[in-house]
Amino acid sequence: MYFFVGKILPYITVAILLGGITWRIWRWMIGRIKFNITLPPFPSSWGAAVVWILWQMVAFWNILKFDRPLWVGAWPMHVALASIAGGHVLGVYTLGMQFHLLLPWLVSEHASEAASNALGTTFGIIFFVALLYLLYRRFAVEKVRVISATSDYLHLLLLLAIVGIGDYMRLVSSASLHYEEARHFMAGLFTFNPQPLPENFYFFLHFLLVQIMLIIFPFSKLMHPFGILWNRWIYNRPYQQPPMGLPGTKITL
Amino acid sequence: MPKKVLSDGTEVAQPHRAPDRLMKRLHVREVPDAEKPAMAIKWLDYYRKNRRSLTMAMESCVKCGVCAEQCHAYLGTKDPNNIPAGRADLMRRVYKRYFTVQGRLFGKLVGAEEMTMDVLEKWFSYFYQCTECRRCGHVCPFGIDTCEVTMAGREILWGLGMVPELQGAASAAVFERGNQGAMTQAGAVDTHEFLSDELEEERGFRIEFPVNKPNSDILYVPSSADYLLNPETLKGAAQFFEYIGANWTISSYMLEAGNFGLLTDQHSVQRELVRRLWWVVADLGIKKVVFGECGHGWRAWKMYTEALTDYAVAGPGYTYKSVPLVNIHQEVAALIKAGKLKLDPKNNRLAPSGTYVTLHDPCNYVRADSLGDVFRYNLYNSVPAVREMTPRNEKNFCCGGGSAVLYDDPEMYDLRIKFFQKKADQVRASGANHICAPCSICKAQFYPMVKEHNLTTEDGKTIMPVNGLIDFVGAALVFKGHRQI
Repeated sequence: MYFFVGKILPYITVAILLGGITWRIWRWMIGRIKFNITLPPFPSSWGAAVVWILWQMVAFWNILKFDRPLWVGAWPMHVALASIAGGHVLGVYTLGMQFHLLLPWLVSEHASEAASNALGTTFGIIFFVALLYLLYRRFAVEKVRVISATSDYLHLLLLLAIVGIGDYMRLVSSASLHYEEARHFMAGLFTFNPQPLPENFYFFLHFLLVQIMLIIFPFSKLMHPFGILWNRWIYNRPYQQPPMGLPGTKITL
Repeated sequence: MPKKVLSDGTEVAQPHRAPDRLMKRLHVREVPDAEKPAMAIKWLDYYRKNRRSLTMAMESCVKCGVCAEQCHAYLGTKDPNNIPAGRADLMRRVYKRYFTVQGRLFGKLVGAEEMTMDVLEKWFSYFYQCTECRRCGHVCPFGIDTCEVTMAGREILWGLGMVPELQGAASAAVFERGNQGAMTQAGAVDTHEFLSDELEEERGFRIEFPVNKPNSDILYVPSSADYLLNPETLKGAAQFFEYIGANWTISSYMLEAGNFGLLTDQHSVQRELVRRLWWVVADLGIKKVVFGECGHGWRAWKMYTEALTDYAVAGPGYTYKSVPLVNIHQEVAALIKAGKLKLDPKNNRLAPSGTYVTLHDPCNYVRADSLGDVFRYNLYNSVPAVREMTPRNEKNFCCGGGSAVLYDDPEMYDLRIKFFQKKADQVRASGANHICAPCSICKAQFYPMVKEHNLTTEDGKTIMPVNGLIDFVGAALVFKGHRQI
């Protein structure tokens, strides 16, 4: 089992993830955008349209404007998720030295690792709490409960399990895993020279659940970061008003 | 039609279905019930491959629930199927079952569902409760426009022969007469003469309505409902064209600013009006087309004409004369801004002093085009006082009649009353005593609903009057002389 999850499954996962995303987007693009069915705010140029799409993605602007209680959970959750994803890459690759490498004259190696740990733990807890809040909201708020399918809850539970185990490894020293061990293992995978999984049950579980999440990613609503781009591309595009002025009138502009 | 009882005993309200004779006139064959589910899947497959907006609406929703309390239909009925995400889910569940990996593998777990007659009956109920106002699209973090789902759903139902009588009759009239009210040329000319008489009494000089006049520069396309319900709107437009001394005409062959085809059948009905429009433009030598007050109509012309023309008129080897299409409000606003229209808001026949007008922003004017400020500019210049509603402009709520869900059958009429609840609250809170709704369908919804919700003026007895916007502009125009000579 350790052999399969540590040495074989990761390659299957990545193949399904990348292939699945490509396949799904290809399917989206079968249908044409026939009509210029723009929605407000009617940007006047492509630049303005792209800025609006990015602003929606970065700020969750519509949620902030129209459903503040959801934004309180959704925005921190996604920010924490992005930070954690970036932190995993940078922290593991640089062994926690990312801040030292970025600002060597300001941050010592020791301080960088401490900052990496502190940020990871903080965002991990924010992520967990925000997910719990979103799960509670799905159960408790009627308008959301009535439109939810079982899978909507399962996605949240899966993320909660992943981040819960991650947080546990952060907070309980006996369960933790050093950056070096993780890097050694990941480097083996990336260089097609798979190394055995570190002897840590929590890491095994964390790693397995993450792979399950990545496998279902292209076949579920988790695709929504791509969905927002492809969908807003239809609705947020420039529209020019026709020139005013009526022909052949006695009173003209 | 009484409520439709589904196989699990639940009841859904549905509009009255088109009778057989009407269906034949539309060339629609009703598919036998046993074959409907399979045929519906075929159509759904067709639309998902042809409209990216539908595919993305099916595949991007995360069920966050932001749309729920932004939809007047849900606010009025508290029916989960009227939450935009829930309404789209009526189709999305089936879509998942047949066109997604997760739906085929996991079925109910991911909310997938088999296509059955019950599902189609629910579509026929709830897709005709959506007013396609796009407010959910405006608030959705992903920009998912549920209107694209209900429009495709209605088209699939149309293809199966599940056609509401109202939309069916209006569409048959489009094929027959070029307008949804089945107005004939004689009927239009008669109405014009009557309105000219009225204008003569009011203004002291006669204003004519030219019909099918060759070599006209401007084609004015009113909503055919103006002939049945909104005479002041026609008069307002005529006064405007008279004031600027326009060489204008109305065509009896193409007498419809609205286009129910957009909402039920884009394949044939919507194209028929596009075809008629270019026919008239070529025939009468039109240089610019000005559309009258109709919200969804303006959306249909503004967003769909160019692409639909390719199919309806200009196939390979054909040429057609393309002229600009504009809305009358934009032209009025441009002229007021240039200081070319003299308006006296204090001396407006329709809004005497003491009148506080509130502006209802028709959904498709403000969420399919940015005309909210244009309306306000025209209104503030034409009436003595304005009391604004909240929210307004592109955040405004629908009147509950949008996309022509203006059914008279008791079940659907009750729903219309509920859909209007939010609007009634808004109007009351504004403190106005006169409503301006620059859209034919809005007006058709307001006329009975102000009574149903007892929206009265200060005396508590008089029902609030409802007018269009060009009505006020026309009545406020100060003529220097006949035809401005």
